[in-house]
Amino acid sequence: MLMPKKVKYRKQQRGRRSGKAWRGGSLAFGEYGLKALEPAWITDRQIEASRVAITRFIKRGGKLWIRIFPDKPFTKKPAETRMGKGKGPPEHWVAVVKPGRVMFEMSGVDLAAAKEAMELAAHKLPIRTKFVSRAEEL
Amino acid sequence: MEVFVVEATPREERGKGVARRIRRTGLVPAVLYGGKNKPVPMTVNARQVARILRSETGHNTIFSVQVAGNKEEKAMVKDWQVDPVSGALLHVDLLRIAMDVRMRVRVPVHVFGEPEGVKLQGGVFEMVTREVELECLPGDIPEEFKVDVSGLTIGKQLRAADLPFDPDKVKLVTDPQRVLAHVVILKKEEEVAPAEAVAATEAVAAEPEVIKKGKKEVEEGEEGAEPEKAEKTEKKGKEK
Repeated sequence: MLMPKKVKYRKQQRGRRSGKAWRGGSLAFGEYGLKALEPAWITDRQIEASRVAITRFIKRGGKLWIRIFPDKPFTKKPAETRMGKGKGPPEHWVAVVKPGRVMFEMSGVDLAAAKEAMELAAHKLPIRTKFVSRAEEL
Repeated sequence: MEVFVVEATPREERGKGVARRIRRTGLVPAVLYGGKNKPVPMTVNARQVARILRSETGHNTIFSVQVAGNKEEKAMVKDWQVDPVSGALLHVDLLRIAMDVRMRVRVPVHVFGEPEGVKLQGGVFEMVTREVELECLPGDIPEEFKVDVSGLTIGKQLRAADLPFDPDKVKLVTDPQRVLAHVVILKKEEEVAPAEAVAATEAVAAEPEVIKKGKKEVEEGEEGAEPEKAEKTEKKGKEK
């Protein structure tokens, strides 16, 4: 599962998810990509599930880039705990994704295979997504 | 080659409110600068600019800008902004072109043919650099570079110096040794059994190292102490 090797602080504040992805919104490496259309916290497990879905579908021949990284700790208080006594322990890691963010990129496969692979990956994510290709970009 | 003419109107007002109102009417805020004249803020038709960007010559297309009340000027799209969600054009920078002054442009590299390394050796073709920077006169800008990569085998690269250009007219600014494309072997994905995967997830679930403040005083015991702390807090929570 993806997570940082070192962190400065164990816990973080939640922050806001408003706005659009003004960086990381265009294809940088591959020929095709999967773009987020909604803001979300994408967990390390969701990223891993999407990666596995893509690599299993394309088997061999294509190359995949994951352009989001879960660097935000998600904390949770244990079940049946009274309120107070501080913030809960870190449970897992999430990536903050804003609308317009290209999350996955692919190359080395044809358009139909890339579309299918990205659709499989999109099913593992909690947000609406859009398939993008280099030919369509301005 | 298609000849494009962009009709523009000078823009007096500035700010995001005005810019949004302009965009709602199908126009986009733009600015024309460069050369000896002053920069001119203006509005242009988004469709006309999009057609230029989608043309064969793309952003290197030289076109005429007809600013209302002034004579036509030769220009080129220098930069443009798009909405990350809808992909709509938000703003365009136009650069005045003097046909006798050398300029730096980025020209796309397109490849064709199936590399030998992919067909026979089972490698994956990867495009590393998609554009190269050149210095030339506006009239000599190549539309694109088309390169045959069918002879590329595993471990061989297509470099910027391999591009077919006329050195008398065009000077390569990009490092000639820069890799444009190559054929690589991908690492094999190890298939992990589901039970093993769960065990591995639990093992990896340990927290990452927390960087200590101040000078390095990390003792051997300290690093191990962190996960224990976390466990203690969890236990405390459960007791309550």
